[in-house]
Amino acid sequence: MWLIALFTFREAWRKKVVLLAGVLTLAFLILYGTGLHFTLGDRVYPSDPAAADFFEMMEAITLFSMGIYLAGFLVAGLAILAAVGSIAGEIENGTLYPLAARPLSRRALLLGKYFGLAAMLVTYAALFFLALSGLIYWQTGLVIPGLAPALALFILKPLVLLSITMMGTTWLPTLGNGVLAFGLYALAVAGGMMEQIGVLMGSTAAVYSGVITSFILPADAVYRMLVATVVHRLPIGNGQDMPFFNPQMILGPFGSQSTPSDWMLVYTLAYIVILLAVAVRTFKLRDI
Amino acid sequence: MAIIEVAHLTKVYGQQVACRDICLSVEEGQIFGFLGPNGAGKSTLVKILVGLVYPTAGEAKVVGYAPQDIRGRRQIGFLPENFRLHGWLKGEELVAFHARLAGLDGRTARRRAYEVLELVGLAGEGRKLVANYSKGMQQRLGLAAALVGDPRVVFLDEPTSALDPLGRREVREILLTLRAAGKTVFLNSHLLSEVEQVCDRVAIINRGTVVADGRPEELQAGPATVAIRLGALTGELAAELRRRYPDLQLEGDRLSLALGSREEVAELVARLVAGGCRIYEVTPGHNSLEDIFVHLVKEGELLCG
Repeated sequence: MWLIALFTFREAWRKKVVLLAGVLTLAFLILYGTGLHFTLGDRVYPSDPAAADFFEMMEAITLFSMGIYLAGFLVAGLAILAAVGSIAGEIENGTLYPLAARPLSRRALLLGKYFGLAAMLVTYAALFFLALSGLIYWQTGLVIPGLAPALALFILKPLVLLSITMMGTTWLPTLGNGVLAFGLYALAVAGGMMEQIGVLMGSTAAVYSGVITSFILPADAVYRMLVATVVHRLPIGNGQDMPFFNPQMILGPFGSQSTPSDWMLVYTLAYIVILLAVAVRTFKLRDI
Repeated sequence: MAIIEVAHLTKVYGQQVACRDICLSVEEGQIFGFLGPNGAGKSTLVKILVGLVYPTAGEAKVVGYAPQDIRGRRQIGFLPENFRLHGWLKGEELVAFHARLAGLDGRTARRRAYEVLELVGLAGEGRKLVANYSKGMQQRLGLAAALVGDPRVVFLDEPTSALDPLGRREVREILLTLRAAGKTVFLNSHLLSEVEQVCDRVAIINRGTVVADGRPEELQAGPATVAIRLGALTGELAAELRRRYPDLQLEGDRLSLALGSREEVAELVARLVAGGCRIYEVTPGHNSLEDIFVHLVKEGELLCG
């Protein structure tokens, strides 16, 4: 399994997937950093020092959340595109036959591919997250509260998408799998946004629809958990000493007014394991 | 000892029967040729034997194990038809990777990779990216990958389809070398002359069913033709021969007809001499594997409409 994982990781590297993603990410970071610099340059704060500190911090957190939200799209895109044809595509183009006839179980082959791609995605997502956090620190002096758990949650998102894409590629052709994965991701993002707006507007139906989409694909829920993790660790504010300025409300649709419970984290981890188990079983039983 | 055993194996895709009740047995150390027209079920059977496809019914064993069994897979090599190799790797990296998958350690894998690259005529080409290889070179590289684990059984599905005549001859020599080393080769090929030259046993499959199985000389001992140049053939004897051999053709002093087997040639000549004919020349027709193949495939088409 580890031979295949290493092979898959090297494949992503040699095919310049990481390089291309890196160049795009650098462009994104330059754009984001420029925006950050000029946005913070134009700031005007209240005369009350406590309120000024709070707003200054919340501005940094808002810009960070926006950055992470948008970075999530790039990471999700890379996760889906990297895995979309990893089984079906290799059967279609004939590269899987020599490998699958080797003394290697189908489970080892599939999980090897998963772990190889996961290693690439985790490295990419971690560097992306730390670069964004570094930019925020450079421009505002704020160390993102709960940096380590937030990083772990940011990494979790591509792993969720990777698992559903790997499951899809064991029984769907490449194009169909791409449509399914991107479709579900769009559904999860739209549902998550609707859930937050539902809380702001007081619409229970909108909140429930978001919850349901989180169960179908907990990608957006992971982002909301990340934001909640950061906001709950803010040194001041937190909606207690300034009840009229709930930080989550300031973050608007990028915030986490409707925060998923800890059970959602358990559900997400179980989701990955179950999807991989289904993928292994489907791959094991199919003709190649 | 049979190293490949197939018993009543059937594979059905939806409504289409790819293999129907196939029974085969291949002895260790043989080159076994598996022939059939396009879509006859050859590749499906090979895929079943290497564990890529599950049979609908029946059983197959390779090296004493079910095709999905890892213990058996350690002892096989496989060159698929219509395969593609990972173009981002260098040739020697690809072969060494297959060696690692076959269970060799890193150092042995690299050494073995050089050996098989040399064997297939790619010595000195190993540092090129596979993407830059020609189709023929890729086929040689695929063969190297199949052989790198030093397997007891090698399944080769159309191994020479992209090669020029020189390359085909080299592959034939490799097959003979493998046989000399005691390896078993299961060869799927359209190239009948190639099969005829190297195979110890041959099976012909048509429409998913094995229609002939045996040593090439056994198959060739079947229906035969003969051409005879003769004189003094009487009308009475000619009529008698026409009754016995309906497709007899007589043009001048040349008589040609089809016999049940080549053994009947002597009997025919004896009858002609006894009937007062003078025999100037007897030319038995060569019953090539291609003749048998075409005959069996056409027969199958007639039976199935």
